[in-house]
Amino acid sequence: MTDPAAWGWTAHLREGGTTPWGQWSGTAEPQGPFLPGAQQLELLRRVNLTGRPTPVLAEAVLATDPPRRTRPALPLAGVLVVADHGPRPVDPSDLGDNDLARLAAVLLAQHLATRPLAEPRVGWRRPWRIRYHLLGDPEHAAPLRRHLIARGRPPGGYGGQVLVIGTDTGRMLVDLWTAHSFRHGAQPWAGWLAMCVRRGALPTPLDLHLVARREIDRPAPNRVHVVTDPALAPRLLGLRGGPGLPQPMAASAVDLARRVGAALRPVVPPERRTRLLSDVLRPRLADEPGLPLVIPSRHRDWVQDEADRLHRQLERHRYPVHGDPALVRPVDRAGVEAPDVSVTLALAIRLLLETELQHREEGP
Amino acid sequence: MSRRVLIHVGTPKTGTSHLQDVLFRNRERLRDQGVLYPADRFDAHFLAALDLMQLPWGGLENEAVGAWDALATRVRSHFDAHSEGTAIISHEILATASRGQVQRALATLGHPDTEIHVVLSIRDLVRQIPAEWQENVKHRRELPYARFLAQVRDPARDSAIGSWFWGVQEVPDILDRWAGDLPPERVHIVTVPRPGGPRDLLWQRFSRTFGLDDLALDVEAERPNPSLGVPETTMVRRVNIKANKIVPPSAYRPLVRELLAHQTLSRRVESPRLTLPPEDHVWVAPLQQKWTDLVRERGYAVIGDLDDLVGAPPPEQYADPDSPDEAQVADAAVDAITALLVENARLVHIERDLRGQLDGAHRDLERAYLRPTYRWREKTVRRLQHSRAGRFALRLYRAGRGRSSRSA
Repeated sequence: MTDPAAWGWTAHLREGGTTPWGQWSGTAEPQGPFLPGAQQLELLRRVNLTGRPTPVLAEAVLATDPPRRTRPALPLAGVLVVADHGPRPVDPSDLGDNDLARLAAVLLAQHLATRPLAEPRVGWRRPWRIRYHLLGDPEHAAPLRRHLIARGRPPGGYGGQVLVIGTDTGRMLVDLWTAHSFRHGAQPWAGWLAMCVRRGALPTPLDLHLVARREIDRPAPNRVHVVTDPALAPRLLGLRGGPGLPQPMAASAVDLARRVGAALRPVVPPERRTRLLSDVLRPRLADEPGLPLVIPSRHRDWVQDEADRLHRQLERHRYPVHGDPALVRPVDRAGVEAPDVSVTLALAIRLLLETELQHREEGP
Repeated sequence: MSRRVLIHVGTPKTGTSHLQDVLFRNRERLRDQGVLYPADRFDAHFLAALDLMQLPWGGLENEAVGAWDALATRVRSHFDAHSEGTAIISHEILATASRGQVQRALATLGHPDTEIHVVLSIRDLVRQIPAEWQENVKHRRELPYARFLAQVRDPARDSAIGSWFWGVQEVPDILDRWAGDLPPERVHIVTVPRPGGPRDLLWQRFSRTFGLDDLALDVEAERPNPSLGVPETTMVRRVNIKANKIVPPSAYRPLVRELLAHQTLSRRVESPRLTLPPEDHVWVAPLQQKWTDLVRERGYAVIGDLDDLVGAPPPEQYADPDSPDEAQVADAAVDAITALLVENARLVHIERDLRGQLDGAHRDLERAYLRPTYRWREKTVRRLQHSRAGRFALRLYRAGRGRSSRSA
């Protein structure tokens, strides 16, 4: 590909330019064996619109391929020489934010993969510690577990009690998708929830009754408690305070995490991937402003039915339930039914520029 | 002889499984004869391809991290140890690598100091299109044939199906990406013979391309990737619709793909074969001709005959997998149920054996516990576990003793 205008636009973007391809008229000599794709060029233009990337970041954007399960790097429309095979050329400004967010997530994943991991804080093991297992809503169980580990109380061990933590069913579904996103990159929220609905049952970790029954039916059962008010869980584990109740994260932050998680999958082994997402990316995204996800209106009836069923089961059964069983019923809260991809893209670009700042600060 | 790497990059459904099986099984013999096929497991090059292209693949990517660099390191080490020789790399999904990934792959293999040869095996689109749908069905896809065809025909190619199909099947684009920098004599096009040709003709072509003609090799196929008929493919698609929600990929692969599709349903060779719908021949034929002309013009080394790429004409009676003969589907389903019963019987037998072994181990364990004080200690522990004070005393005892998991 030797189109002078396309190479001219590439050089312009490398220098921090923001002119759209449709308005570009300059030319330049080729600066490489092949032109970057429309996705890479347009993403660099958007990055330039947001801040001043270093040459390192600009080159990384131009050299990174979009994830291969999606459209490959697309040729620019309007160049002089167009092959009559291969993907159809596009005007970069016609690309959707989704295309660009995918590519930005790959870049973030590549950066994340290079980050060192600090050893998790683990307190010395108290011999008199209360043995416990935490199940149920992972977004409520995980911080409590981390809090206890840091105080020398790792989960497991002989005997002890099983706490199955829940909250309102809509929030639990959002929480489980959030946890998946920060563990290995989940599928999009709408598709994931639709799959749950098609399957016709709550995902197993959220079916508090089923989880409790399974624990009771074990050959050597532990004492099982179902907790529908997560604020009560720390006290049941012998804590006066606790880590505080987690607030749901902004929808776009979780959406970005699931994209980065998916892009990390072929890059680093699973254990390191999970820690990079939870220990490095999550703290950065935790305070990101924005409304959390809520159940879309088309699935609310299904969630209501599932919550009613769960409520009835919790009322009837013989394990202790801490908190009102009715707390599992859906609650109306402010939120968005789906992440806004343009917000996810803007967040991704800001993070890319931040990682650049770190490089500058850490550099020689 | 120089240092040569022959890299076979596709396309899928062109006898690649057989080739890779022969190369893997004969890798020791090949090495003795100066040819490196660097693989410790059958799918080593598949994992390397996943790693090179950063491609997730149902969890297999977890095993693929770093696999390409490991493969390239083995090739370079081989050349460091031997001043000359040949290395072979083969996987059909490499066809979809981007230009940047191709550059990286060739650089890690020593290009330009190492002589790189790209091999592309190709088959007419009239057979490739239905074969790709069938492969999709064997990989848990649920979409009907008509919807698959519509996505393949869509010029925007923005569906996962369209993007992948053209990525691995569009011969000119694959050659642009893989062979753009290479002289045409180092680009080898192997054509798949037309249906009805001699059985080993394709192997002969591969053998000639990879310089294996004079080597003593065992070329019996052990890992064929056989095709299914129309009712069989439809049946598997219906199974996918029902079972995908409840059968995890780890169980689907051995039970549906291997047991049902490969070992059972592929033996039903009397059923109507899957073909391209007659109306699609209209756009496929000129496209195929254009590709063939391009290969001919560029002067690549062709092993076989470019006329092999002229697809067969539409069948007189087209068997539509979206409206199949239900009696034939039912027949296929009976065979599938029978195969699953036989497999279940085998597993029940194994389970019974294992249960017997486990019972024996339990009996041995109990005998070991029959010391005079054991029953008394066991009763004491049970009694203590029923009260809070008892549990506390036990915990103190165990903490003092050191390990809570040691038997009392």
